Amino acid sequence: MKLSEILSEVKAKVLVGEEKIDQLEFEYIAASDLMSEVLAIARPSMVLLTGLTTPQVVRTAEVVGIQAVVIVRKDSVPSETLEMARACGVVLAVTKMTMFEACGRLYNKNLKPVWGA
Amino acid sequence: MSITEIMNHSVISVRPDRTLRQVKEILRIKRISGLPVVDSSRKLIGIVSIEDIIKALEGGYIDDTVENRMTKDVVSIESTATLKEVIEFFEKWSYGRFPVVDGEKRLVGIVTKNDVMMALLAKLGLVYLHDERRREVLDSPEYFARSLLTGERLDKSGADFYFSIDYFDINLAGVGASKLRQFLLSKGVDEKTARRVSIATYEAETNVVIHSGSTGAIYCFIKPESIFVRVEDTGKGIEDVELAMREGYSTAPDYVRELGFGAGMGLANMKRCSDNMIVMSKVGAGVVVEMEFLRGREAKG
Repeated sequence: MKLSEILSEVKAKVLVGEEKIDQLEFEYIAASDLMSEVLAIARPSMVLLTGLTTPQVVRTAEVVGIQAVVIVRKDSVPSETLEMARACGVVLAVTKMTMFEACGRLYNKNLKPVWGA
Repeated sequence: MSITEIMNHSVISVRPDRTLRQVKEILRIKRISGLPVVDSSRKLIGIVSIEDIIKALEGGYIDDTVENRMTKDVVSIESTATLKEVIEFFEKWSYGRFPVVDGEKRLVGIVTKNDVMMALLAKLGLVYLHDERRREVLDSPEYFARSLLTGERLDKSGADFYFSIDYFDINLAGVGASKLRQFLLSKGVDEKTARRVSIATYEAETNVVIHSGSTGAIYCFIKPESIFVRVEDTGKGIEDVELAMREGYSTAPDYVRELGFGAGMGLANMKRCSDNMIVMSKVGAGVVVEMEFLRGREAKG
């Protein structure tokens, strides 16, 4: 599924990397607030949903090769996190939707979990 | 896992026409406790143990030939046996070692309980350091100068990559790992290996920032077959490494958990990503983590 479609499904606003959302496509989604968990389960071709807004989220994404991060249940994201995303080339988007609803909507669209797929 | 992967191939054996006195000397010099006896075509015909030697000394027949005094109905294992079968053998018989033979009863190796244990530990991905070696390493002035994995002297100034963890701000954790990843990719290291290295290094770096209360360093050496990473600090140290290795165990403060760390997965993650790992620590003397990542592990499956 195209990243632009994924983002509109969860009503997310793109903060960084707008130019890439029509090019990138994803099959897998992971949702977590634990960065160690992300490090443990992540695969490069997936979108990360998280409730955390710290620069750490972007750095973790970069280390495992995640290209797109959607921050849930937030209005805004700290500027240092945005800067980090720009520096790392990670697409960053934010939505007011809860983690539960965002996951449910994407699951309905046949996006797959990283394990057991 | 087959027995040929774990047994000792260079087995020392003795011919039946030798004397027990000669056997005693071999046991003493080679510091072993038993010898298989083979005929001229290397067929296994018996075994002599240190117990036989003691009896010979007591009974005054130490100059007798091996053939007269050896145990003739020796229990041996076929070289096609699996690790599981070897363990069952040790359970069934109370002997400390078993000669390994091929289809024609020719001696091809020997297997001890220690070989089995080392094979199991290797399978767990952990290099085992027994207490004595651990003490030796921790007490030596070279604690920070020698590799724990290989025992070699580490020329840290010759490291391919060096990063000083000289900050205390948790928000910066991972800067070194991120730089390391870019460095490895720029040196032509494949993406998957670089990813494993940077994930494990990220965890190690975060540990230094959260737990050590001191500064630390990341060293990386690129070798043809593997990537070697050492992360060290001079901080508080870990009281119980085994406990710390347990998944879910964490001593991280709340503010760290709020940032998505401190779930007690760090060390377990590091172990999973690396092919060999050692954690060495002494309270008050810091922590040293060494990890080895075989290149192209994915390609080999």
